[in-house]
Amino acid sequence: MAFSRKKGAEFTGDTVALEGVELRYEDGPRVLADVNLSIPQQSFYFLTGPSGAGKTSLLSLMYLAKRPTQGRIKLFGEDVWEAKRARLPVLRRRLGVVFQDFRLLDHMTAFDNVALPLRVAGAGEITLQRNVSELLKWVGLEDSMNALPTQLSGGQQQRVAIARAVVHRPKLILADEPTGNVDDTIAMRLMMLFVELNKLGSSVIIATHNEHLVARFPFPRIHLENGKVTVHEPAGANP
Amino acid sequence: MSVFAMRSDLPLRGDTSGRFVALLVMVLVFVGALAVTVNAYVGGLLDNWNRSVTGTLTIQIPLSDARNGDVNAAVARVIDVLSRHPAVAHAEAVPRAKVIALLKPWLGEDDAVNDLPLPALIDVELRAADAGAVDAVSTSVKTAAPGAVIDDHRVWLTRVVGLANGLKIVAIALMTLVTGALGLTIIFATRASLTEFAQVIEVLHVVGAKDGYIAGQFARRALIQGLLGGLAGLVLYAPALALVAWLAARVDAEILPTVQLTPGYWVAMTALPFAASLLATVTANMTVRRALASRV
Ligand SMILES: Nc1ncnc2c1ncn2[C@@H]1O[C@H](COP(=O)(O)OP(=O)(O)O)[C@@H](O)[C@H]1O
Ligand SMILES: [Mg+2]
Repeated sequence: MAFSRKKGAEFTGDTVALEGVELRYEDGPRVLADVNLSIPQQSFYFLTGPSGAGKTSLLSLMYLAKRPTQGRIKLFGEDVWEAKRARLPVLRRRLGVVFQDFRLLDHMTAFDNVALPLRVAGAGEITLQRNVSELLKWVGLEDSMNALPTQLSGGQQQRVAIARAVVHRPKLILADEPTGNVDDTIAMRLMMLFVELNKLGSSVIIATHNEHLVARFPFPRIHLENGKVTVHEPAGANP
Repeated sequence: MSVFAMRSDLPLRGDTSGRFVALLVMVLVFVGALAVTVNAYVGGLLDNWNRSVTGTLTIQIPLSDARNGDVNAAVARVIDVLSRHPAVAHAEAVPRAKVIALLKPWLGEDDAVNDLPLPALIDVELRAADAGAVDAVSTSVKTAAPGAVIDDHRVWLTRVVGLANGLKIVAIALMTLVTGALGLTIIFATRASLTEFAQVIEVLHVVGAKDGYIAGQFARRALIQGLLGGLAGLVLYAPALALVAWLAARVDAEILPTVQLTPGYWVAMTALPFAASLLATVTANMTVRRALASRV
């Protein structure tokens, strides 16, 4: 089998591949129609398109919260919906997701929210404490570690959400409008975090409708409109 | 670190369905404690009675036998026969004073009891407690005193056993009902929580939690509720037990001998809240696993 591999062996194919993917909600119209897309390793993409185009839907297919109504999705070479259910958590642990609406757990402190991906994977508390504190410091939340999400501003919550998405060094980072609630300075700082993680080996896909942001970085963009995707190389393509 | 102090991925505050689980576990443990106590007490009583009854006979010489002389003569004849009988170890007339004492609980303290014409009683101890011996002795006694009534206590004991078993069946039926209600409540409460916390569960899934991990979160919550409810049930049961014990102590010791509660009883009582909590935990765990298995 072309995509089979031993556990733990280094994977060399595309990070994500969509083949003939269609998505519709219930009996609604097709949000995505025959989408073919492959995201190579250590790549960086913007995902653009008007509001309601299906950016969130496309990402949620990639983080396995939805099943396509047609077509195949491969994550790290594995056909996701052919695999056993017990395999899904293993694949998801290689992903980092920033939800558009953050989805922080309101009864947990910022620290515990960020620690969640490590805890569900059974990480030891000592390394966990160090990694989480370090990361929270990096995103400028060292003073809010023990605050509940409801005690934080929108921008602070967003940074907690981003920290939670990257704390476990995922191979693929999917961020849905991650700079929507912060000012330009912080937006740039968060972008630099994603760029840094990309340099360390993660693939990154950032959904945004901020044209300004897209223009400032030399990354290709996946444009979504009328259920179809088109991939555009950066304007002055010379990174 | 206790389960109570552990961090939970599910918000526990304002968790009404959980409180309902605690309440039902409380009722279950209370009823269970009652059943265990009834069981232990009845078992102890039967044991007491069995020991004092098996291998003994009570022979009653009714007043009507006095026609052929007086009652005392009839008693003497029967005792004579019994003392020579090979199956009998010992035979002794019950003194009139003791007969009166036995009747006091039914007849009251009235002095008139002393003047009542009473049948004579003879206690017989058999060498072996088998039916053949009882029959042989009966035949011999009937020839000496045709009106004698021989009571081998078995009919009475059978009825007591019947009553005890009836009580046990009622207690077991009650426990089964409450256990069933608890199981169903946990299933429905857990399903309600699954809907209520759908967003939390999606986040847990997305960050890579296995179904077992999420089920474990619910199970731990059920365990905490179960332990709280179970302890409350035992705490509530203590005064109820004291009340029953006090009521029993007022009954004459001849009818209700004191029962020594065995270590097994205390083990069972202590195990009750844990057994109920375990049931709650396992049910919650299985409910979540089944519900999640059919999801994306
Ligand atoms: N859970 C849902 N049920 C039904 N329709 C949905 C659901 N989520 C999104 N949609 C519809 O799918 C389309 C794409 O939505 P979405 O993926 O959120 O777009 P975007 O993120 O680009 O704004 C919209 O028309 C939206 O109304
Ligand atoms: Mg969206």
